[in-house]
Amino acid sequence: MIRKRELTFWERMYLPEIIRGVALTSRHFVRNLAIHTLHAVGLAKHRSAAVTYQYPEQPRPLAPRLRTRHRLTLREDGTPRCVACMMCETVCPARCITIVAGEHPDPNIEKYPTRFDIDLGVCIYCGYCVEACPEDAIRMDTQILDIAAYSRAEMKLDLHELLNPSLRKPVKACSLPFPHRCAVRGDPHAAGPEQPLHGPIFIGGDVTRAAGMEDQAQQARQIEAPHPVPLPSGEREKGEGRGNG
Amino acid sequence: MLEAFLIKLSLAAAVFFGVLNLAGLHTWIERKQSAIMQDRIGANRASIFGLRLFGLFHPLADVLKLFTKEDFIPPGGNRVLHTLAPFLSAFFALVVFAAIPIGNTLTLGGWVIELQVASLDIGLLYILAMLSMGVYGVVLAGYASNNHYAFLGGMRAASQMLSYEITMGISLIGLIMWSGTLDLQAMVRAQGQYLWGWLPLWGAVVQPVALIVFLAAALAETKRIPFDMPEGESEIVGYFVEYSGMKFGLFFMTDFIETVLVACLATTFFFGGWQVPYLFPDGFRFPWGGAIPMAPLAVTLAGIGAFTAKVVGFCWLFMTVRWTLPRFRYDQLMRLGWQYLFPISLANVVATGLALRLLS
Amino acid sequence: MPTLTIDGQQVTVPPGTTIIQAADQLGITIPRYCYHPGLSIAGNCRICLVEVEKAPKLQIACYTPVADGMVVHTGSDKTLKARQEVLEFLLANHPLDCPVCDQAGECELQNYYMDHGRYEARFLEQKVKKSKKATPIGPTVMLDQERCILCSRCVRFTDEISKTSELGIFHRGDHAELDVVPGRALDNAYAGNVVDICPVGALTDRDFRFKARVWYLSSSPSVCPGCSRGCNIEIHYVLDRPYLADGARVMRLKPRYNPAVNQWWMCDEGRYGYKAIDRARLVQPMGRTQGLSPQGTVPSADSVSHPLVWDLAMTEAAQHLQEAQTRNQLGQWGVLPSPQMTNEELFLARQLFQERLGVACDGRVAERPATGDNFLMTADKSPNRRGMAAIFSETTDQKGTVPQGDSPLLAERAAAGELKGLIVFDHDLVALYGEAVARTVAQRVFLIYVGSHDTATSRLAHLVLPSAVYAEKDGTFTNVDGRVQRIVKAFEPLSGARGGLEIVADLARRLGAAFPHTTAAEVFRAIGASVPAFQGLTYETLGAHGAPLATAEAVTV
Repeated sequence: MIRKRELTFWERMYLPEIIRGVALTSRHFVRNLAIHTLHAVGLAKHRSAAVTYQYPEQPRPLAPRLRTRHRLTLREDGTPRCVACMMCETVCPARCITIVAGEHPDPNIEKYPTRFDIDLGVCIYCGYCVEACPEDAIRMDTQILDIAAYSRAEMKLDLHELLNPSLRKPVKACSLPFPHRCAVRGDPHAAGPEQPLHGPIFIGGDVTRAAGMEDQAQQARQIEAPHPVPLPSGEREKGEGRGNG
Repeated sequence: MLEAFLIKLSLAAAVFFGVLNLAGLHTWIERKQSAIMQDRIGANRASIFGLRLFGLFHPLADVLKLFTKEDFIPPGGNRVLHTLAPFLSAFFALVVFAAIPIGNTLTLGGWVIELQVASLDIGLLYILAMLSMGVYGVVLAGYASNNHYAFLGGMRAASQMLSYEITMGISLIGLIMWSGTLDLQAMVRAQGQYLWGWLPLWGAVVQPVALIVFLAAALAETKRIPFDMPEGESEIVGYFVEYSGMKFGLFFMTDFIETVLVACLATTFFFGGWQVPYLFPDGFRFPWGGAIPMAPLAVTLAGIGAFTAKVVGFCWLFMTVRWTLPRFRYDQLMRLGWQYLFPISLANVVATGLALRLLS
Repeated sequence: MPTLTIDGQQVTVPPGTTIIQAADQLGITIPRYCYHPGLSIAGNCRICLVEVEKAPKLQIACYTPVADGMVVHTGSDKTLKARQEVLEFLLANHPLDCPVCDQAGECELQNYYMDHGRYEARFLEQKVKKSKKATPIGPTVMLDQERCILCSRCVRFTDEISKTSELGIFHRGDHAELDVVPGRALDNAYAGNVVDICPVGALTDRDFRFKARVWYLSSSPSVCPGCSRGCNIEIHYVLDRPYLADGARVMRLKPRYNPAVNQWWMCDEGRYGYKAIDRARLVQPMGRTQGLSPQGTVPSADSVSHPLVWDLAMTEAAQHLQEAQTRNQLGQWGVLPSPQMTNEELFLARQLFQERLGVACDGRVAERPATGDNFLMTADKSPNRRGMAAIFSETTDQKGTVPQGDSPLLAERAAAGELKGLIVFDHDLVALYGEAVARTVAQRVFLIYVGSHDTATSRLAHLVLPSAVYAEKDGTFTNVDGRVQRIVKAFEPLSGARGGLEIVADLARRLGAAFPHTTAAEVFRAIGASVPAFQGLTYETLGAHGAPLATAEAVTV
């Protein structure tokens, strides 16, 4: 536990401390103002009055180990090194990776991704995928930080953008030399079912409303419950049906 | 009579112009000064035809933005009071300037002009009264917003303003006792004396304790950092949480007008108002000998210049304080007001009385 | 009866028992690759070496018969060292394929390496390349010779269980490799089992290939509905990664050990029959009229079907039945229960329609011709014909087949225009009686279809109520030998479908005759109380392996 330091008498007087504080900030003010003024007349350019980076014009230097936007590394023939082992998909704590595997023509490679999506809107940039990858197939070294989009769908990177980090949405043409689920060519399988068809636990909302059938539901609610069927009294012997079969 | 009226009107317009511009510039000064103090650059992106002028267009852009924003009155709020509140705030802050002398008597072409919009005998009382009216704007804003947080903010602000108003008033009593007048122009003139022939007998020299108490109380009264709990721009929900557009802008302006106001008051009461050391109606006369004769008009203009410089200096000081000190906690604020500043100001009155009695 | 000591525990076993079997009895698991309880013993993998006191060398636990007074140590330093060294040999030529290998996650090489291996690799030489890498050797199985550790389980399976002998081990030394006999393919009806018994990734399932990693799978015990054998299975499914396998939930089926039914095996027909679970399903009640149809009329079978909300569809069904009741026409209604239904659904249907409403239920439904074999597959492709026979014992004989020369079948009566309404569970009338008969039925009677799949009949029906498949509901099936076995709900029905129990119970409630029992367990208890064949059976007594019907012995199958 860190104990609070006892204040000295002068510190408790408050006023001297205020003056000290104001003096400190004033010193910075005067110094920086002087340097700014000198800059304005073209002097003392080597001294800096501010630690600010003028961001869009003056990007901040990035450390090489900084985790930035992902990319998939390539083999010499332009196909991904990825073998779709799904280690990254498994380890991903945010579950932002989507991989669908396909059969590679070379039996020594055997497996490769026909679909590889990373949802940057979900990704937390932990870098586990890079750590988990046994093939050095995924890296986070593109130094791309400015990721912004107008929709959630646009935050999703697919194979095209991951293999070629210079691409930006919307990707116009596909030049990938191997079969894949290609959103660019309008492949309906490119973005498979995001929500399973089953079970109320996985689907939010009302199926009735989704089908546009509220009026029916309304109608059904207005129908009176049928009158109870008068059961034939107490003659229900076990195993002896009244059927005519 | 009409001429006198016109002269006063033009004087009022000039003061208005100066104060509002200074207040408007404050948004820029505040951002730039804090940036420079904190080794940053500050707002510099707004430009007209590529001209950036160190971000001077930002206040303009802010105003444009505020004017085009939706003017929202919360459902269930009192429309009239909700609209009235920011105007009350700004109004009572602005009318105070009427009593502040910005210069010595100006004689121009046979006209004798008091450089004071309203030459009131009870100027000081008027100022205190108008300052205390400012609380209405705050309370009404909180009340008319139909929002619990806003209402609590308004209450917080009201209790703070009422508490510090008392201290502020009492801190000035010593000054009144010394100068023997409530007329601000007379007060400033009284500060034209010299102790031992060389030390200007400004309020700060006569009443150093009152100066500190006044500055603290005035900052609290005008809700400036470090006493800005009522507003607490981003951290505490304050009384103007339900305000948007130019109505919010008016509260914002009031804040800066009050900064200028406190600077004016501090200058007037404690730093000799328009007095320039060793400047007499016929020019400079230095205590170590030597004199620079000056025309009466030049002397008056020098007085106005000195007043303006002092006000700007105080504004700078307040900004520096704002970006240096952290905010008080509310109980600390109240304890400071009632348990320290209030007794100190009372003791100051007693001490001043004793001193005056002994010296006379 | 020899008594021996394994790791300090004494056990008495019949003579001829091997050490590994005795250890299994004690719950001590000795690692194994080539040993499989369902196959003959090969003793070639050497991973099961254990220390036997007074024996000069380590002995293989799988092939060493126990002797009285034997003292075995399965965890001694010597044993552990031997295991590690055996693993080092086995892995010497094993490729580093784990990332692309479908076996990864359920691979015994991985498991035993983590348990017993963990040595520093000393192998500097080039690994031996084998000729077949990822090659299909039959319609269902993929072979990767490099991953094979030559345990010969699969060879023994084809020799002893399927008796087809497609597989063999060829060449010598480190050139030895598993392969199909030239000119043959691994295409017997039980080929999928070699994937299950392969301890490594050498034989993998072509159907499951690359679909999902095994650690994504959830598992639920069930019973195969593919035929009346009722093989015990595990349903392996994935719910949280819908992009896998294009949204299918069930990824594969695996046999589940049941000594009384299927032992360790299952046929390929059942193994790949799971696809129907996610394919061509009915997911919305359908009706011929938008809203309620006019009372007592039969809409044209050619009119357009509209999707209905459940509430409306159930109301419509109830109103038709009620209308028939008020006009005293329930005798002209009929119900065709199905041997695809669980005992519980059949019982509720019987209670509602036959006992409470007095509607004729006809359990005599013609069978589709199919073939079985003399191992697991039976000719009857319905999982619960015995259960239906027991529950509708009046209309069927005990084996659930159609008694000849009795009163005319319900479907025939419907086609003849003698009926006003017909409720069909699961049956495809078109496949059973032909297109012409089915169309005639649909033109003359109000046809309600309760079933899980889109069939020709569901398209003819006037009211379609989609129901759940076996993986989506709790219940029991009674297999061909009269063994009652539980199926466990693995996941919720597709949204828009409902469990059969729920549908019948809802209909009963709307007719003012709600059942006191609704859950499958409660219904089963009611069956036990009222159907003699099920006397004394509860879900607890069924357990994991099921229990025979009280009358099962009387029936010779």
